[in-house]
Amino acid sequence: MQPTLERAHTILPLPRVAAGLKKFIPAFPPRLRWTLAGIGLLLLGWQLLAMTTHSAIVASPAATLAALHQLGRSGQLGIELVISLKRLLIALALASGLGFGLGLIAGFSRACRALLEPLRWVTMTLPTVFVAILGLLWFGLGDTQVIFLVMVITAPVIYLNTLAGFDTLDQHLIEMGRVYRFPRWQFFTDIYLPGIGFNVITGLTLAAGLGVRAVLMAELLGAADGVGHSFNRAWTFLKTPELFAWMLASLLLMALLEFGLLMPLRRVLMRWQREAG
Amino acid sequence: MPATAMIQLDRVSKAYNGLLVLNRLSLTVNPGEVVGLVGPSGAGKTTLLHLIAGLIQPDEGHVHVASSRLSYVFQEPRLLPWRSAAANVAAALRANGADRASARMLAQEWLQRVGLAAFAGYYPAQLSGGMQQRVALARAFAVQPDILLLDEPFSHLDDGYKQELLACLRALIQATGVTVVYVTHALPELDGLANHILHLQP
Repeated sequence: MQPTLERAHTILPLPRVAAGLKKFIPAFPPRLRWTLAGIGLLLLGWQLLAMTTHSAIVASPAATLAALHQLGRSGQLGIELVISLKRLLIALALASGLGFGLGLIAGFSRACRALLEPLRWVTMTLPTVFVAILGLLWFGLGDTQVIFLVMVITAPVIYLNTLAGFDTLDQHLIEMGRVYRFPRWQFFTDIYLPGIGFNVITGLTLAAGLGVRAVLMAELLGAADGVGHSFNRAWTFLKTPELFAWMLASLLLMALLEFGLLMPLRRVLMRWQREAG
Repeated sequence: MPATAMIQLDRVSKAYNGLLVLNRLSLTVNPGEVVGLVGPSGAGKTTLLHLIAGLIQPDEGHVHVASSRLSYVFQEPRLLPWRSAAANVAAALRANGADRASARMLAQEWLQRVGLAAFAGYYPAQLSGGMQQRVALARAFAVQPDILLLDEPFSHLDDGYKQELLACLRALIQATGVTVVYVTHALPELDGLANHILHLQP
């Protein structure tokens, strides 16, 4: 059956949605209004695409939401999200420790920085899919290869941002610390850590975005569960609305990271900036 | 070298990129003395203070500083932007052996002495340039230094505020009896304060 405008209206009643938005949007501050408008435009584009293509190729927003609702009710959405989130958090914790730790070492020692440069270059240049296949070869199907891939992809980003923090740190503060004989621990807690905090947060945010993509790819290629695996299964059986629902779930994964981890961390590490205005 | 000298520089030379900034300079500062250093830009005044503070090493000659309890007030306040005024003072105190509670208490006391008790919880960005330099002064005196190095500390301030801070500094120097090396472009700042004034030429 060819999609028609009339059929699309039965999926999403556009005039009624527009009227609803007109009442709803003025309640928000201007910046949020523009963000909401952006989301609205994306949804509109998606809806138009669904109206002009076959439903087996592009599921409409309404069909996707219905599939997502169904996955949520059955409990599968929650289970797969928790599995992917757990892998992502473990991998990000390991990558943060590695990237931040090596970044600190390289920040203090030019020799170590030069020594680590080839490794950084290799890990940042290798295509993700190559690393994923290596992970499968070395660790087989399951958690370890997923965590391995995410760690290899995200650690260099955190490392580089930590290093950038070092390079932009105010050298006058280091001199001040030397004059007042700051011990090493105090250099770390009073100068280095807050001084590079902004860069570390930026690195973690970038790493989280990359990590979500990497975890889904690793699960798609070599895991028996998780959001990526479920996406793959929906694709295999051509359950297009479910496929799109898992795509939305991947966005939910990033949102969980953003609101559950990155925002609280940003609040703690950058509290001084907010309070100082 | 006199046995009592607090700072002794013996034929010290220092060059940057082949440019000689200090050439076989000798200087003795006795305890409790206030020595003013004047001279045009590039004469090596800041280099001299950096040598005394141990931030750089001489190419030739010897620098002897009798005490490691040394404070330095730079041209700019050099406060930790992520710490409050009180925490900035307390950080220097903790680095010099004070525990957390006494550092906090002493920091509050010293901020009161420089007239900033009400601003103890403010971050540097919330304070004016003059107030930030007052915090730097409080930090410098709080560690009870034997030697105080001042590198044009008021050069960025307007005249009214400069006089006010200068009065505050004089009172603190007289009250503590600290040995001071004071670099300035403005000779009047040294009136009634300096025991000796050295003119450095490039």
